[in-house]
Amino acid sequence: MTTLRIENVSRWYGNVVAVNGITMNIAPGVTGLLGPNGAGKSTLIHLMGGFLAPSSGTVSLEGTAIWKNPEVYRHIGLVPERESAYDFLTGGQFILAMAKLHKLSDPGAAATKAIAMVEMDYAAGRAIGTYSKGMKQRIKMASALVHDPSVLLLDEPFNGMDPRQRLHLMDLIRQMAAEGRTILFSSHILEEVERLATHIEVVVAGRHAASGDFREIRRLMTDRPHVFAIRSTDDRVLASAIIADGCASSVQLSDGGLQVEATDFRRFTQLLPRVAKQAEVRLWEVSPSDESLESVFSYLVAN
Amino acid sequence: MSTAIHDIGYRHYDGPRLGRAYVVRSMFVYNLRAIFGIGRPAKTKILPFLLAAFMLIPAAGDIAVLAFIKQPEALIQYSSYPMLLSPLIAIFLATQAPVAASRELRYGTVPLYFSRPVGTSDFVFAKFGAFTTALFLLLALPLTLLHLGFVLTRSGMVDQMKIFATDGSGEVEKVPTIVHQTGLYLGALVGCLLFALVLSAFALVIAAFTPRRGFGVAAVIAVYLISNVMVLIVQGIAIESSNYDVAGWAGLFTPFNLVDGVQVRLLGAPAASTPQAPPGGTGGPVFLLACAGVVVGSLSVLLARFRKAGQ
Amino acid sequence: MNPTIAYITVRGMLGRKRALLLFALPAMLLLLVIGLKASDNATVSIQTAVLRQFALSTLLPLLALIAGTGVIGPEIDDGQIMYIMTKPISRPVIVMTKLAVAIALVFAFAVVPTFVAGLILGNTEGLAFAFAFAVLIGGIAYCALFVALAVVSRFAVTIGLIYVLVWEVLIGNLAPGAKNLSIQQWSLSIVDRLTDASTVEAEVSLGTAGILLLVVTVAGALYASVRLRNLTIASAE
Repeated sequence: MTTLRIENVSRWYGNVVAVNGITMNIAPGVTGLLGPNGAGKSTLIHLMGGFLAPSSGTVSLEGTAIWKNPEVYRHIGLVPERESAYDFLTGGQFILAMAKLHKLSDPGAAATKAIAMVEMDYAAGRAIGTYSKGMKQRIKMASALVHDPSVLLLDEPFNGMDPRQRLHLMDLIRQMAAEGRTILFSSHILEEVERLATHIEVVVAGRHAASGDFREIRRLMTDRPHVFAIRSTDDRVLASAIIADGCASSVQLSDGGLQVEATDFRRFTQLLPRVAKQAEVRLWEVSPSDESLESVFSYLVAN
Repeated sequence: MSTAIHDIGYRHYDGPRLGRAYVVRSMFVYNLRAIFGIGRPAKTKILPFLLAAFMLIPAAGDIAVLAFIKQPEALIQYSSYPMLLSPLIAIFLATQAPVAASRELRYGTVPLYFSRPVGTSDFVFAKFGAFTTALFLLLALPLTLLHLGFVLTRSGMVDQMKIFATDGSGEVEKVPTIVHQTGLYLGALVGCLLFALVLSAFALVIAAFTPRRGFGVAAVIAVYLISNVMVLIVQGIAIESSNYDVAGWAGLFTPFNLVDGVQVRLLGAPAASTPQAPPGGTGGPVFLLACAGVVVGSLSVLLARFRKAGQ
Repeated sequence: MNPTIAYITVRGMLGRKRALLLFALPAMLLLLVIGLKASDNATVSIQTAVLRQFALSTLLPLLALIAGTGVIGPEIDDGQIMYIMTKPISRPVIVMTKLAVAIALVFAFAVVPTFVAGLILGNTEGLAFAFAFAVLIGGIAYCALFVALAVVSRFAVTIGLIYVLVWEVLIGNLAPGAKNLSIQQWSLSIVDRLTDASTVEAEVSLGTAGILLLVVTVAGALYASVRLRNLTIASAE
């Protein structure tokens, strides 16, 4: 029970289309759901979590539909962005209640384990209403983990956490992914996604813009020239050779080095070492300057 | 590169500012509009306007009856009108007091008000004033309609009486003069104001302490209904045993009876709209004092509540 | 019936302010009857008046409204119902559990005080048990109605309020036909059957009342379950 299948799913509210014909498969591992505000990320996670019904299309887990199917929750854990847990219960009581509602065979042990996983043992005896924002987020995380689900859906999970807690949570997520689970999390913060996700799904204005490894996405963007920064012993020679060859649309020469916009990526990567060798120019540094997630993301969003 | 902090954030404004009166007036208007759902989603307008309309229907119906049968006895006594429609007014209180008093508390926006030059007292008085005004409009409009209707149909009634008074007897005197009725009308208006003040005080306090959605509605209506039924039972039993004083004093404990007591004893209302008016002599002043006590007490409680929420 | 859901619901309902209201309302009833008994005012007509006007027509609808909407309304509003919905528990079980909690609250804060009040006043012609039982049956029907309302609309309390005050009281007194569709009147029929006191006179026959009470209860519970299955969790919109 580990692959979430979203098939041609749309969701609209009157005239507003929040999610527009999205098809994606969420496989085991860590997947980052990325997109600007209002892109439909939260709606998509809500659809995957059975909070609302798709207006068309199907959302299923290994073939079983999620909407109107309570049994599927044995395998799914959710951390919603907004709903906070019951203020009047203590952390311990809350997680124990969640464990019992999942009909676990040893709810007490599962609850203790989940609370330890998120490092909330010290505050488990206090009412959730007295928790700080990060603590509330962690207790929500514990409630999603208590039944050891094979799928985790996290809507902006690092909200309100301090750096140490965030690192701890990232380790936890990596560890769980290594055990074969499917984890999907949405985030605005590109560094988090870059660091944690092995696979990204980009949603822009309700449409599915891209999916996969972000470096490979960049390769697929053939309409945008790849930008390289090059430092060598003789930049001018390289510059003229590159221009003469024609695989670059622009070459900028400055004190810091060469900035090349290569239109034909493959040709350029073969050309550069060949030219450098022929001209006996030593290359000090060749680095792609726009292969970060940030630039990939901004290209996708600008489209 | 040297380090410096550049002051381009908060821009100072040294021009003319509009002053406290403007602030209070704005809050007053905002609250008044919110109570009737103006400037808010359509669903919130349904109930207040529906209730206002239903408040007018008996008045309109009475005028129609007057125009038709031309008997002055058919005219509803002005001061009785609020009591007659007290269930509708109670629903208005229960559903709209939370709109005025609970929303800022529910969403925790009170500190936002107090971090600007708005004092706690200005804030509370603007709300109280708005709710009182809303209630006054709700009560005074039908009353005005009634009086207008009387003024317009009076000549018809006089003609009718002249036809009956074949032997020249004082039948015509049975039709009240416009002056007399206007006196009653003005007295009833003062009564409306008193109703508005006391009912506002009572409902806003309860709503301010029950901010969760739906809870304020239930709490206001619960206090109204329970106090009402208790007083009704006590009055019923007291009247049965001819204990008219006890029955009169019992009216202190429920808001509508409280104000009606003042109407009967001090504002010249012809007859009580409750089973028993307060005892003559001391009854009127004591009831008036109780009204004042409710209003003053509620305001101080509201001030304390919002002051605490603003911290 | 899920004990964990029941536990959470009860804890939620008995938070400070709500508990205050729940305790205060029957306390007023008991205060009144103690005062009446002490001043030697407890004839059969007074007993009937108190039990009918206060316990049946005021305390019961109010408590059922607070309990019925309170067990599920605020949770749906805040979105916390999500923690219960995203578990492998069938929707009818959730509804039935919450309904049971509401009925238990009505039992504790309306039925028992009615019985005690009736006893204090003298229990002539078995009025105490008659009214207490009627309050229980009426309470079950009211709770089912209000729980269904709370699942359907955010304004459940207001709608319930209008039903009780406008339909059952105002219109019920004006249009005799409306009496056949009033939970209060059906409860009164039960009282009439259980007591010989002449001061109690029902307007609706017991058969009609019994059937309608059952219909409302079952329909309310079923409708709530169906709507809950289709519930879009609040913040998702």
